[in-house]
Amino acid sequence: MTGRPVALVGGVTTAFGVRPTTWAEMAQEVGAALFRAIPTLRAEDVDSLFVGAAEPERFAFQSHVAPLAAEQMGLQPHRVIQRTELACASGQSAIRSAYAAIAAGLSDIAVAVGVEKMNLPSMAEANSAMGCVMDRPWDGPHGATAPPFFAMVAQRHMMEYGTTEEQLAAVSEKNHRFANSNPHAQFYAKKFSKEKLLGLPVVAPPLRLGDCSSMTDGAAAVLLVADKFVRKYTETPAWVRGTGQYSDFHNLANAGSLTKWTGMTHAAREALRGAKVAIGDIDFAEIHDCFTISEIVEYEALGLCSPGEGGAFAADGRGDLGGDLVVNPRGGLLGCGHPLGATGIAQAVEVYQQFAKQVPVARQVPDPEWALVHNLSGSANVHSVMVYHGGGAS
Amino acid sequence: MSAGAKSRRIAPTPASSDTETRSVPRAVPPTERPREKRPFLLDFFPLEGPDQTRLSRFYDRLREGRLSTTRCPKDDEWHWPPRVACPKCHSEELEWKDLPERGRIYAFSAVLGGAPMGMEADVPFSVGLVDLNGVPLRLFGRIEGRPWPELHVGDSVRVEPYDLGDGRVFYRFRTID
Repeated sequence: MTGRPVALVGGVTTAFGVRPTTWAEMAQEVGAALFRAIPTLRAEDVDSLFVGAAEPERFAFQSHVAPLAAEQMGLQPHRVIQRTELACASGQSAIRSAYAAIAAGLSDIAVAVGVEKMNLPSMAEANSAMGCVMDRPWDGPHGATAPPFFAMVAQRHMMEYGTTEEQLAAVSEKNHRFANSNPHAQFYAKKFSKEKLLGLPVVAPPLRLGDCSSMTDGAAAVLLVADKFVRKYTETPAWVRGTGQYSDFHNLANAGSLTKWTGMTHAAREALRGAKVAIGDIDFAEIHDCFTISEIVEYEALGLCSPGEGGAFAADGRGDLGGDLVVNPRGGLLGCGHPLGATGIAQAVEVYQQFAKQVPVARQVPDPEWALVHNLSGSANVHSVMVYHGGGAS
Repeated sequence: MSAGAKSRRIAPTPASSDTETRSVPRAVPPTERPREKRPFLLDFFPLEGPDQTRLSRFYDRLREGRLSTTRCPKDDEWHWPPRVACPKCHSEELEWKDLPERGRIYAFSAVLGGAPMGMEADVPFSVGLVDLNGVPLRLFGRIEGRPWPELHVGDSVRVEPYDLGDGRVFYRFRTID
């Protein structure tokens, strides 16, 4: 990694769920929560703002959301202000951009915020918004949205490797269980046993309702600063040590193998190389479980197990507390819900809070030192990975 | 970097007996179900005319019953979707080629709920990736015919252009029994 060391020094998440509130109101809410959570933060110290928002045009009929968010949060950014859009990875994209600006010396103190309002009176309108993520004039008219795409990934994985519905349910059970210790999660109060998950209706065969993350309203925000400002805000910084991204197709025709996400392997390798660590050094990972099958393919793409062994990795609890590493202790997208622009930020909040040992014991990773965060976007066309270190000094 | 991109290329399916090229254009039959007219920003179907896209020939040919795409003669690169510039050599001198009418299902699923606007009445509907016979292309599309519980990977399907009822055309696949 080149440039100045950058750390994430605090963050907050609003409640995630079906919420009776607007995009702008959630920006206010998360801004207020951020200032409460970091008492030494003064609005005038924030020189830059990065706003992760996937589809405010569709879900809220609103463009130019960066200054809108700044006004809602009571900020007057005077060095860099921009929105980042990368569909489901829009939030991580905001963090990456803030990191890059600080590392390059364009910013000293930056807020990365993610906001998404997805639940509308008409679900068909919301589903149309999700369809826009695909190649609109070619894949869109056929009715392409995320569930049938990831269902085809699951079908091929089952065909090629013998992955089972029970193994998919193991991912969902774990992430929903972790979400039961996360009061911000959409499914905080809902219990899902494997048996219950396997009895839920099929929405896109072979995927059942419990295999899919939800349409979710929510916001999250983090503060990133250059090394010399860290101690003003925290004693437990999460240092950004590595980043990587990879994109190799957009139209579904060009997806190639559905079951080998080589783009993720490339992105993770780049991020781990930057951090000078190996995947075996990672204590916990927040990875993009938009669908249960995604987490299984991601185990394999990260090299946590061989191709085809992701299902067994899940069923054997190797991604659970007490396993090889802890995967999605926050509750994942399956348990927390998936407000597109906020998800990547909320994952980073979990990283900060895990390092600071501020999470309930039911999901606290024992003495974590290294964390990896991953988002895919669209139909796994882009993979974005960041590696954080919780080791105190820069 | 090119290694990752290369791994996503699809090997051509060997030409089989059910590959056919069409010499006689056939008109697309009129629509069976009129579609509700929607403003462009609420309608996934594209604007197809030459005033809106440089690829209007795709739709003209589709109207004649021919699914086609662009190919770069310099690189022997078949494109999907059709393009105005080759992604490999960036030549803008591309040729139109008819695509085989048949292919086999590589993967499929079905939408049993949660359809976008204008498609709610279609639910349940099947979609899939289809390896076209004899060309290195795997197209995504709606699969009509047998319902999803009766579909299998490897099943043969044919391309079916259809009329949207408002001057536009599109394509889908249909199972072959």
